[in-house]
Formats: sequence, structure tokens, C-alpha cells
Amino acid sequence: MTVAENLNLGKKEGYQVKLPNFEGPLDLLLYLIKKEEIDIYDIPIAIITRQYLEYIELMRELDLEVAGEFILMAATLIRIKVKMLLPGNTEEEEIEEDPRAELVRQILEYKRFKEVAESLTDRETEQRRLFPRSYFEWEKKYEKKEVVLKDATMFDLLTAFKYALDHIPKTTVHKIGPTGPTIENQIQFLLKLLEKKDHICFRELISELKERITIVVTFVAILELIRTHRILVQQVSIFGEIWISRKAA
Amino acid sequence: MEKTNFEFLKQIVEALIFASDVPLSAEQIKRYIGEITVSEVKKAVETLNIEYSQTNRAFHIIRVAGGFQMVTRETYAQWIKKLFQKRIKSKLSPAALETLSVIAFKQPVPKSTIEAVRGVNCDGVVRTLLERKLITISGRSKGPGRALLYRTTKEFLRYFGINDIFDLPKPREIEELLKDEKNLPKDAVE
Repeated sequence: MTVAENLNLGKKEGYQVKLPNFEGPLDLLLYLIKKEEIDIYDIPIAIITRQYLEYIELMRELDLEVAGEFILMAATLIRIKVKMLLPGNTEEEEIEEDPRAELVRQILEYKRFKEVAESLTDRETEQRRLFPRSYFEWEKKYEKKEVVLKDATMFDLLTAFKYALDHIPKTTVHKIGPTGPTIENQIQFLLKLLEKKDHICFRELISELKERITIVVTFVAILELIRTHRILVQQVSIFGEIWISRKAA
Repeated sequence: MEKTNFEFLKQIVEALIFASDVPLSAEQIKRYIGEITVSEVKKAVETLNIEYSQTNRAFHIIRVAGGFQMVTRETYAQWIKKLFQKRIKSKLSPAALETLSVIAFKQPVPKSTIEAVRGVNCDGVVRTLLERKLITISGRSKGPGRALLYRTTKEFLRYFGINDIFDLPKPREIEELLKDEKNLPKDAVE
């Protein structure tokens, strides 16, 4: 039986697209093994490889994006098949490991967690029927934010940074005194600001800073805070305002 | 302790659990009330639950994420669902559940381990789980690359109605999985 038949994909009467949704190559292999009642200790690698490739072909025909992982597994299967065809060096290495062993171990390890995932699904379903008390006012505000904000990328940040640098007032300030701010100082400055406000607008923040060096150091401080997961940087729309907020520990 | 006194403490416990939007642990309740022991808190909750069921209340107190939380009974889910239509978050995808399973039992764990078990890239799903606060970054591995390590959160316990992470059903051992394959002699393992 071919995979297509297995999946009830009668090509002639048009596509009745009902592909089981596989979470990955291991999931697909597990499915094939079960479907074909294959003995997991002795996987007929030729059959399973053929079926596996047929399935991938099917995904292509259905214009589904075949993830790289599926292709990688196809290559692994073919490699195992080749290894098994080659005569082993029986004289020297008698206890050579079965080329399939690693794959079997991988499939079983995956199966363990797939089972746990299934039991979690049951719990999720059960738990979703119980409603705890909650503060709705707070949730409403939170929901609105969640819809409009998208994560800003490093490039958005850099664009905003360049914009800020290009728009520093041209007045030259001569100042003699202690050296400018340090990154550590600016980190403290930002954290303190965030204690007072939930959000800081990146553009406003930068526009309040007078010197180029302060802007640069503040920018580095922001990067440092992102790296150490202390702040969150979000953007409402592409090229829109970038908002900085405190990240819950 | 006198009966009347306990009666009042029980009501304070009830008030605290009622007002809270997160599970409250017995220790927390003890801290808020002061003159009560942890076992008295537990006794109070027990008594409250008995009262709720005797008077057919639509809610009761459950143990979840190491604390107590007041929830409506399952019977009323169909109506409350309508009330909360827009607020209810979507169910987790199978990919998210698989990823959570791996994290739950191997935590703290780098993404590479999750990907090795699942055999697929997990960037997107890890991000989703972080956004939903079901997992969190717990640090960095000491190995090369100092990969981020992930662990499950209290919200994870709450979401699945688990009181303690150890209450989760453990993944079966590989030997056990192999026993499923009936038609084979056991000595064929490995």
C-alpha cells in the first residue's frame, strides 16, 4: 500500500486533502511504523525509506512547504540503507553497531515525549473547563497591547538609532568637566526611568539627550539590558515608535 | 482553638482566596493572617469545600501550582465560555505540547536538546511558549556558545492544573515502550 492510499488521497477524484499533521520527520516515521505494523527492532529500511519519500513527494504535490528537517531525515534513511547494503568488515569489527540503532533510539525517545504531550493535552482540555477568578480590567488593557505590539528587530532599533543621530540639534556644546556617562550609569538611568513609567518611547528618550556620546552610550546600555533580558523592546508598526518596557523577572 | 475563632479565620481564608487572581499558597495565607498555622489553612479550605458542595455552590477551591484557587465547577463551562468568548486563549498546538513535555522533564534545557528530541527546529514554538509565560529563561549553559536554558513556570502548572511538577505523569522508559512491540523477543533490545 502506498502512502497516498494510506492517507486516502485519491488523486483521480481530485484532492481530498486530509494529511495527518506530522510534527516532524520522527513523527512521520512513528506513524509509518505503526501503520505498517513494523517491528521497531528490525525496521525494513528499504520499505520505510520508500514510504517516507512518497510522503515527501505528496507534500510537494500538495504545495506544502517541505521543511528542511524532512529532507535531512530522507538523507539519513538513504545513508542507513546504503550502509546496510555494504558488506561489513566482518573480520575485524565483528560487533559493529546496527546502522539503524541510532535512528531507533531517536524514534523511541521522541515517542516518550509525544506520549507525555498527549497526556498534557488531556489535562489542558480538563483545565480549560475550570474558570478561576481574575481581574478583567487589567486583562483588557493587556489584551489590547498584545494585539498591536510586535517585537522590534535589531534592524528597527538601528534605524531608530540612525534617525536619532541624524536629528541631533546642530548646536555645538563645549563642556569641560568629568567624562561623559558610562554604560553602567545609563543602565541605572534607564531602569530608574522604567520604575516611574511603564513604557519609554525610544525617540523621545533619545531626543532628550544632548550629546552624541550620551546617545551612543545609552544605546549600548539598551542593548545590554536586552541581552540580559531586563527590558523588552516593542514596536507598534513597521517604522513606528519603539517602546521600551521593563521585563518581568 | 475555639470554634468561633476558627470560623472567622476560615472566612478570612475564603476572602483572600476569593479576591486573588493567582493561586495562593498556604504559607502565603499564613503570612497574611498571622495567627494561623499552615495546617489550619488547609483545614479551613477543606471545610470551605465541604460547605460549598453541601450548599451546591457553582465553584470550589482547587490545589494548583502549589496554592489554592477558586474555580467554577466544570458543569458551568459551556456558559462561561460564551461569557469569555474573546478572552479565551487558543489551545496549544501539538508542537507546543511536545516542546513543553521535553522542557518539563529535562529542565533546565537548551533549545538544541529540545530540537534533538523532536527532530525539528523549535524557534517559533519556544517563542510562543515564552510569550504565553509557560516557560522562562533560567540561565545559560556552561558549555560552548553559552546557550540559553529554558524551564517551565508556575503558569505552566496553573495552565495544566498541576499542583507540583512531580505530579506530572513521567515519560515511560524506553524499555517499557519496547514491551509494546508484542511480537518480539525481549532479548532483541539494543
